[in-house]
Formats: sequence, structure tokens, C-alpha cells
Amino acid sequence: MALIRSTGIASLAVSQSDDLQALATRLQQGTPGERREAARALAILPQTSALLACQLEEEAERSVLEALVTGLAERADETAVLALLDCLRSEDAALRNDAIEALKVAGRHHPVLIQEALADSDSDMRILAIGILESLKHPDVELWLIDLIEHDPHLNVCACAVDLLCEVGTERAFHALELCRVRFPDEAYLGFAISLALTRLQGADGL
Amino acid sequence: MNTQTVISKEDFAKFREFFYRKTGIQFDDNKRYFVDKRLLERIEATGSETFRNYFVNLRFQASGDELQQLVNAMTVNETYFFREEYQLKCLVTHMLDDLVRRKTDHSPIRIWSMPSSSGEEPYSIALYLLEYWKGIADWDVELIASDIDTSILRRARQGVYSPRSVHNLPPKLLEKYFARCSNGDYQLCDDLRQSVEFTRVNLMNPADLRGYRDFDVIFCRNLLIYFDDLSRRQAADTFFDALKPGGMICLGHSESMSRISSLFNVRKFPDAIVYQKPLEAR
Repeated sequence: MALIRSTGIASLAVSQSDDLQALATRLQQGTPGERREAARALAILPQTSALLACQLEEEAERSVLEALVTGLAERADETAVLALLDCLRSEDAALRNDAIEALKVAGRHHPVLIQEALADSDSDMRILAIGILESLKHPDVELWLIDLIEHDPHLNVCACAVDLLCEVGTERAFHALELCRVRFPDEAYLGFAISLALTRLQGADGL
Repeated sequence: MNTQTVISKEDFAKFREFFYRKTGIQFDDNKRYFVDKRLLERIEATGSETFRNYFVNLRFQASGDELQQLVNAMTVNETYFFREEYQLKCLVTHMLDDLVRRKTDHSPIRIWSMPSSSGEEPYSIALYLLEYWKGIADWDVELIASDIDTSILRRARQGVYSPRSVHNLPPKLLEKYFARCSNGDYQLCDDLRQSVEFTRVNLMNPADLRGYRDFDVIFCRNLLIYFDDLSRRQAADTFFDALKPGGMICLGHSESMSRISSLFNVRKFPDAIVYQKPLEAR
């Protein structure tokens, strides 16, 4: 036996139809491998987010779910971002984490939708939305975080916002950070995080 | 650049967190000089005047070009034979034996090296199999090596290497598999060159990748650190489909599949950590 020159690449190539209807059928009825392949092929075609989002609600296979989430991140239109935000409410932790990573990319194109998620009635949703902000590259991220630590009633939401301000904040956040400390006077961890943020922002001349 | 530009301790902490999130690369405090030097070079090259200005551009630049420049500056791009040799050892001492134990047919073992660059990695795999894996007596192995760059593929097929490229090879292997050229370079022997199939592939193009299936092992080292988050996820999906159930992928020492995808299981071998497509995957 030995090292042998492969001839397998070309012969393994398949030539299935890539028209929209055929892909949609494979996405819904194919094997897991075919569904993954269809999801990836649809993701590079326009106006396919609704198809991908619809399958996301039906799909149970982990590997296909991941391909669908990646596909929606690639589409990154409003339908796609809304479908990804819906995933944050899922009981499936892996799907939630996948959606967060996807929204860090796709959310850049729809910052308003992410901002709305920061005002969601569910505090878990708000915390997950903060996790998306650090990659959002939006100039108002700091202002949104300041608004949260000034007004959000939930301790963990504020703590997450302070953690992120530590990196993206400027001197504009000083007052809000001090206010936040006053709003939660008995929370030692939050006090520590606020002190660290103030030190960082002062030391680094802010951003 | 202002000659007084300095990177403060807080700047370094901020940058380190940011860079880790973007690349998975973590700089310890003892890398401070290395990081500062390259940061200052990029601050000067971009005319940013201060770290603050530079960091704003780095974070908010829509194209991500400066982050790419910085990643290039912060990573060592050289490649050479037997680079990150611990994974090659792991391949011949554990991974392949693990794989062949489960093989029910006697089809060839398929290994994909991606990106191949100028060939040092796939040829290193070939050398390691021939020299250090007893199973090569019983199994056929197909080695496919791919890159997006056709000029680098031409160089790989030619198999001519500088003394620096081969500096890590044991002298007896250098003598056995290479011939010295008149200009001091080394020419890899024909048998070994013919044993690797080089192909052009764009990892981001699904159409390029349809034929890449049924691999037992994939080497994809020090590529994903150059990708953005979405591209990494797409690459992970591609590798998942390219591997057989139970197949394994080796990433670079600073890369982690766990940060990209939850589809793979972590396999800890004595020499290396690799990522395995679940046996039950469909």
C-alpha cells in the first residue's frame, strides 16, 4: 500500500439543479446533507430569507440548523435579522449562541432592530442583545449602553452594559456609571465593574 | 507619527480584549513589546497620530481592511516543513489508528490539506506517513492539497524549496527525498510530488466544494484566523460536509473550532487537540 494520487474530486462532484424551486424542495425534503447544501446554495440567492427562516422553524437536525443560521447571516436582510432575533427566545442554548454570533455580523445592517431588542420586555433578550452590540460597529452603541445603565431596572442587564462600556465607553459614560452605582448600592460586583470601567476609561483617554 | 506615541497599559488591555474576540489570539503580558511594536507601526502607516484614533478606525471601519492588515502584522506567515510537528505526530500515533479501527471497507484514507500554500504542509504529511506510520504498509492514502492562489499551487507542484523551508527536516530525510539545486535550493523527489493532488479551491464558493467529500482528516491550520466571523462559520459548515462521520480536523495552535461551531466534538490526544465530526452525524 502507498500514497496514491487522488482522482476522486471530479468524480464526486454532483450536478444537481440549482434553480430556486429545486433548492426549496431539497431544503424541505432532502437528507440532512442535502438540506445543508440547499441552505448554503439558497443563501447566495436574493430573496430567499423567508424560505430559510421558515425551515428554521421546522428543522430539528443540529447541523442543518447551523447552516440555516449561517445562511440567514449571509442574507442579512430585515427578514433574516428578525428570524435570527427570534432564535434568541429559543430554549435551545446552542441555537441561541449560533444566532448571537450570526447577529454580530447580520445586525450591522439593521442596527434599529438590535436597538429595539435592547428595549425588549424580556431581560434575557436584552442581555443577549448587549452581547451583539460589541461587534455592531455602530456609532451610537455607547449611547444605547448609557441609556441602559441609566434606566434599565434589571441588575444583570446593567452589569452586562457596564462590562461592554469598559471597552467601548468614553468620558461620556462617566456620569451614567456613577448613577448606576447609586441605583444599585448593595451590589458589590456591579460596584467593582463600575470602578474598573471608570479606571479604564480615564486611563485610556476614552474612546 | 508623533514620536511620543505610546501604548498605555489600559490601551494594551483594551486592544488585547478586542483582538482576542476578533481572532481568538490571546497575547500575554510578556508579548507586550511584540504587540506594541506592531501597533505603533500600524498607527504610523495609517497616519492615525494616536492609539485612540487608530483604535476607533480599527473598530468601526466597515471594510475591515485595517483589521486584516493588523492580523497580518500580528501573525507569522512563514511556512516550512514539519511546522507544528506535534499534529503530524498525533496523526501517525493516534488519529489514523483511531480512524482505521472503524473502517469497515478497505477504501483509501483521504486527507485534505487546506490551504496548501507552496506545499510544505501536504508534503510534510506525506513524509510523515511514509517515515513514521506503520499503517502505510496496509492502507492506501490519498492526499489532496488545495489553495485559492493558482501561482502558489504552481510552486507547490514544482516542489523547490529554500534552505529556510527545509531547516526543520531531519538531515536523513532531506538527503532521502530532496536533491540539492545549483543555487542552494532543494528539489523534492518526483515520487513524493506525484503523490499529492493539488487543486484550486475557494473555500467560500459552494460550487467549488461540492466534490470535496469523504475525507478522513482535514488539515486547515492558520487560515481561519484571517477570516471574519461569518466566513469562519461558512468554513466550518464546509468542513463538516467534507468529512466522513468520525473524521477529524486539525486547526492551527491559536484556532479553536469550539468558538466557531458546535457541530464538532473535541478529541484530546496526548500530542494535540483535534475536532471530530460525530460518528452519528448524517
